[in-house]
Amino acid sequence: MPADFGHVVTAVAPTAAVGPTSATSTAPPAHSRRKQVGAAAFFLFPSLVGVLLFLVLPVILVILLSFVRWDLLSPPKFVGFANFTDLFQYDQIGHSLLITLYYVVLNIPIQTVIALGLALMLNRKLPAMGFFRVLYVLPFLATPVAMAVVWNWVFDPKVGVINSLLSLVGIHGPAWLGSSTWAMPVVAFANIWQYTGYNMLFFLAGLQAIPRQLYEVSGMDGATKFQQFYRITLPLLNPTFLFVLVTGVIGSFQVFDTVYVLTNGGPGNATEVMNLKIYQSAFVGFHIGEACAMSVILFLIILLFTMTQFSYFRRRTTYEMN
Amino acid sequence: MGLLRWSRYGRLTVFYLVLIAVAAVFIAPYIFAIFASFKPLSGVVHDKAWQPPSHFDTSNFTTVLRSQHFLKYLGNTAMIAVILTIGQVVFSMMGAYAFARMRFPGRDALFWVYLATLMVPNVVTLVPLYIIMNKMHLLNTYWAIFLPYVLGTPYAIFLIRQYFMTIPEEIIEAARLDGCGEQRILWRVVVPLSKPILMTASVIAFTFAWNNFLWPLIVTDSTSLRVATVGISNLNSNFTAQWNLVVAGSLIALVPMIIVFAIFQKQIVNSIQLTGVNR
Repeated sequence: MPADFGHVVTAVAPTAAVGPTSATSTAPPAHSRRKQVGAAAFFLFPSLVGVLLFLVLPVILVILLSFVRWDLLSPPKFVGFANFTDLFQYDQIGHSLLITLYYVVLNIPIQTVIALGLALMLNRKLPAMGFFRVLYVLPFLATPVAMAVVWNWVFDPKVGVINSLLSLVGIHGPAWLGSSTWAMPVVAFANIWQYTGYNMLFFLAGLQAIPRQLYEVSGMDGATKFQQFYRITLPLLNPTFLFVLVTGVIGSFQVFDTVYVLTNGGPGNATEVMNLKIYQSAFVGFHIGEACAMSVILFLIILLFTMTQFSYFRRRTTYEMN
Repeated sequence: MGLLRWSRYGRLTVFYLVLIAVAAVFIAPYIFAIFASFKPLSGVVHDKAWQPPSHFDTSNFTTVLRSQHFLKYLGNTAMIAVILTIGQVVFSMMGAYAFARMRFPGRDALFWVYLATLMVPNVVTLVPLYIIMNKMHLLNTYWAIFLPYVLGTPYAIFLIRQYFMTIPEEIIEAARLDGCGEQRILWRVVVPLSKPILMTASVIAFTFAWNNFLWPLIVTDSTSLRVATVGISNLNSNFTAQWNLVVAGSLIALVPMIIVFAIFQKQIVNSIQLTGVNR
């Protein structure tokens, strides 16, 4: 594994040097270099248009628009920080933030622990390990919207599989998606089902990168399996943890498809996550400024969580492993 | 010794039983959905989900396909997914080649700009992207659905660049000395050497396009442009409690991804381990 884990996407890309390092050792002659500039401009033109128009411009726009009031029809009006203060005063954005955080907390730890557990189980030289690995990744490719429809049926209180299984052991199951207590755990379950096998693959790759000798040597020194797990496996999986947690948390803060199909924010506003609120504010109510203000707040929160995870894992990652 | 052997086999049995139990949780929804899609509504309501249908009745599928223009939606999705995949992979590949193998002023600075945009969550650009599409008069066109993703993405560029960096410089220099233009080098020398990563990038792009829901939901509202994911979500609200139809409809959208997986499972599993898909 490369020693530089400075950027999220580099953590599991062991194929080459990371970052803009010069690959060429010999400088080409001047005339061919000039020709290269022209060719490079041609090669980069499409993606540069895409990046500037559809990534950089939107980021600038979202910040500018968060300071205006605009319904797309009449001209936008500058209102300063009013969108932000209104959100906290009248629109219960605090509730949506907490609900989103609740979803992240339900989703990420369970998903990560099970993924690690499955990876530890499959990281053995036993028959059929590859077969199980493929089976476990299958949910990852399921279209989330289509799967949500299936979950809707599976968790139906009257005809659903879950409650008919529970009735076999004499439990009268709850209304699940109709219950403000259970709706969010069901949404989290749908995403855990989808992404656990996917995260398992990263842990498997991480485990396979740990040198065998470490276990052999520490075993000869009398370390127990338990000590080896805490002193060798977990610390050396830190880069994998960083990647899985950062991408998982960023994705979970933006949950939309499953919530939209399963509950549409209900019952009441029990599952009204941030992305759903932004969608409703912008494309149902046409409060563009308010929606942009919410996007900015969510952006800052995601950034805060990402940076916290980076600094936590940077302190704990040992670089001397080469 | 006998006892020790037994306990080893016992442990292995428990180990495999746990693996099978987990597999059951991952596979069961597919099985239940397949069973339900061939049952009449009464069967879905009264039978147990794990009971196979008594006979294979395809009327749920024909009802969904006829009543909901679902074939049209699938066709739209397939067309958009193919255009998006080809464009994203080709343009990303071109950008990746420039960053990995060409020298021009400002290359590293520009690459860091690309990398920085990876930190921007999709939800942040959602509303401004809609406004940009509105200003470009592209709302309610196929263009609006794929344009933001078809010109290449920083993620795909990063992924492919990392792979291009591993191609020995001598091969490319040799081609240059032979008088090959950069276009020819890319298509005739680099592409044939990079099939695995290009396959990976294609699978990522196709899956994204096929599963995308929120963006098409926002930028289109006419039925003739509707994609399968939006169609399914409407199906869910139009056929409330007609589980046989709703589940059959969602299976129709799941099947192509399962086929993609069956064909490319080795590449998908290996590539996810190497890369990670930005979700």
